[in-house]
Amino acid sequence: MTSKITVRAVSKTYNSDAGEVLALQGTDLEVKQGEFVSLVGPSGCGKSTLLYIVGGFLAANGTVLIDDKIVDGPGVDRGIVFQEYALFPWLTVRRNILYGPRLQNLPAKQCDEIANRLIDVIGLRNFENRYPRELSGGMKQRVAIARMLAGDPTILLLDEPFGALDALTRETMQDELLRIWLEMRKTVLMVTHDVNEAVYLSNRICVMSARPGRIVEEFPVNLDRNGTREAIVLSDEYNRVRNKVWLAVRQQAATQTTRA
Amino acid sequence: MSGDTAEPKAGLRSYALSTLSIAVILIAWESVARAKLVPELFLPSVSAVLLALRDGIADRSLPIDLGVSLYRAFAGLLIASVVGVAAGIAMARSALIRWFLDPFVSLAFPAPKIAFLPIFVLWFGIDHLSKVLLVAFSSVFPILIATYSAAISVNHLLIWSSLSLGSSQPMIMWRVILPACYPRIFSAFRVAVPVALITAFTAEMVAGGGGMGAALMYSQRFFESPTVFAYIVTMLAVGLVLDKAMLAIRDQFPSWCESN
Amino acid sequence: MVRSINEAVLRLSPIAIVLVVWQAAASFHWVDTAFLPAPAAVARALGDLLSGHEIRDNLFVTLFRALAGLFLATLSGVWFGIGMARSWVFNAIVSPVVGATYSLPKTAIVPLLILWVGIGNAMGILAVYLTCLLPIIVQTYHGVCATPAVAVWSAQSLGADRRKILWQIFLPYALPDIFTGVRIALGFSFVVAISAEMIASTTGIGRLIFMYGENGSYDYMFAAVASVVIAAFLADRALLYVSARCLRWHESHAASEIGAFG
Repeated sequence: MTSKITVRAVSKTYNSDAGEVLALQGTDLEVKQGEFVSLVGPSGCGKSTLLYIVGGFLAANGTVLIDDKIVDGPGVDRGIVFQEYALFPWLTVRRNILYGPRLQNLPAKQCDEIANRLIDVIGLRNFENRYPRELSGGMKQRVAIARMLAGDPTILLLDEPFGALDALTRETMQDELLRIWLEMRKTVLMVTHDVNEAVYLSNRICVMSARPGRIVEEFPVNLDRNGTREAIVLSDEYNRVRNKVWLAVRQQAATQTTRA
Repeated sequence: MSGDTAEPKAGLRSYALSTLSIAVILIAWESVARAKLVPELFLPSVSAVLLALRDGIADRSLPIDLGVSLYRAFAGLLIASVVGVAAGIAMARSALIRWFLDPFVSLAFPAPKIAFLPIFVLWFGIDHLSKVLLVAFSSVFPILIATYSAAISVNHLLIWSSLSLGSSQPMIMWRVILPACYPRIFSAFRVAVPVALITAFTAEMVAGGGGMGAALMYSQRFFESPTVFAYIVTMLAVGLVLDKAMLAIRDQFPSWCESN
Repeated sequence: MVRSINEAVLRLSPIAIVLVVWQAAASFHWVDTAFLPAPAAVARALGDLLSGHEIRDNLFVTLFRALAGLFLATLSGVWFGIGMARSWVFNAIVSPVVGATYSLPKTAIVPLLILWVGIGNAMGILAVYLTCLLPIIVQTYHGVCATPAVAVWSAQSLGADRRKILWQIFLPYALPDIFTGVRIALGFSFVVAISAEMIASTTGIGRLIFMYGENGSYDYMFAAVASVVIAAFLADRALLYVSARCLRWHESHAASEIGAFG
């Protein structure tokens, strides 16, 4: 089976006040259709950069293919959600969600269906005509996810989507995301600094080295996700994988501090 | 990485292009003037303007006029600073004073102060005093408002700490409140200085009584275009020099305030 | 904003107090009424001006020049600001010119404009236009530059092309800053329009104030000044109202905070 996402020998340099910074070096990654892959690693290792390159928002050296076609910019096939939500503040919840469908000139009836379905999925029926500034962080993130899904992308790119939320909201949102993924089976590439979250959600975890980043270890995750959160988190398999990944990330972080 | 949209590159190429742009404008100006494409009255050549500048400096007329205008502008600014800072702090500390001054400030702030020139001339004559006071009247508001808003946001904790360390009220004023307000007051100054200059020049243009403005109108009435341009260029240069000077002063006393 | 009649009375009473003291000063001859006409006399003169056609013919002319110049400056200023923020080439070419005029006292160009287009409406509108361009360009530029990259990327991943991103992302994000620029420019527009009239014009409220001064009709002069102050105040309030409505969605009502005390 050909990969959905192929990243080969990608490196990325960018200019900062301190001069040139090599963010990624010789990175390789393959993601198959329907997989949920998490990128973890020490701060500054370039995991978000890699995500943006896959999304087509940043240019880089090397090859990036989606369905064996070269990526030369953003596209509706790759939806994205950011840690900062990035909702359009002048649009209501409903209009934010319908931004993509309206751009594609879908008929009004179809737009209504999409909006109603997603607003119910994220449980914000009573807030659909509010502006983002009236929403809490968790609600904003739900709208951001709904907006992404409304565009019907085949790949979901998530950049630390729950990083700005409190612990309780984060757990609720993780369960939501899991439910959506189990239902829609889209391909997901997520960046997170939370190892527990990575193990809970993904079926494969890629650990990146410290800057300049590349993927150094991979851990398959075979959890039975049909049970409750308690059952999953307390299971042996969960803890086994979690400990391995956590150690791996700490190792990579240690190399960063010794070098710096 | 996901920050603001990058500002246009302020690199070497930008500076080169900017310099080229100015050079092109100057060359075009000189060519058009020399070729007499436009009547000499409308657009004297760059060389004629430079000549007029040289003559003005040589016979002391330009420096004298400039001196008069600058004296009026800075005398007015001095008054505006003392009154503005004092009133701003008074309004921040005393609800009674704030209640009393509030409607007058709100009414006067959007009003075009130049409309009061004939009143000031009526009261104070056409020589220095009326213009100095008009300058003061025009520039006091930005300073007052900035001082007020800075003073009311001075952290209470700073004041309480200072009180518990045994400071008296005047000491708190000088040692805590004024230094905390300094950044915002300085920004207000960057606004107030051009206002003071414009008011002084305009008052002179309308009411005469010496100074750059009066000299400018005089040359215009006698259709001496090169002199008109020379005076405008001088005003421009003065404005630029003063602004750069203020920036240099600000950098000498870096503010410890987070937002600059 | 005023929440009740009581609050309005409380906030305006200092003005009432000053008016009473002023009237007393005039009635009891504490001051020479040649130099400071009594408020009653000024009010009477204002009434005359309003019922006659002086205000209509002159204040409206001034307002027309100021607002026409402001309107044109807003359209071109926003265009320039966006262009400078989106294209480093455009920015490099245009910004030195913009930066140079930043330090130029704007009324200084009035004598130049008189040479070029004579006195009258064209001169007034042109002077206002050139003055108002600057704050609007600067504010638009900052507003567009401050647009978060993640917002642009989100729109791109939902299928927006360059044009759509310009109109649907950059412009709304810059709107609060643009309104700030327009508010600053509004203040400038009145000052420049009146200055230009005082320097050289046959019509306009600036001219009228000056004329009354020269004729010695000081109560009419004060009345004309009062009419301008009130007009400027109302225009500013109107703009604040419009910007508050348009920026309902904005997080901090920053657009209505700058300047005086609400």
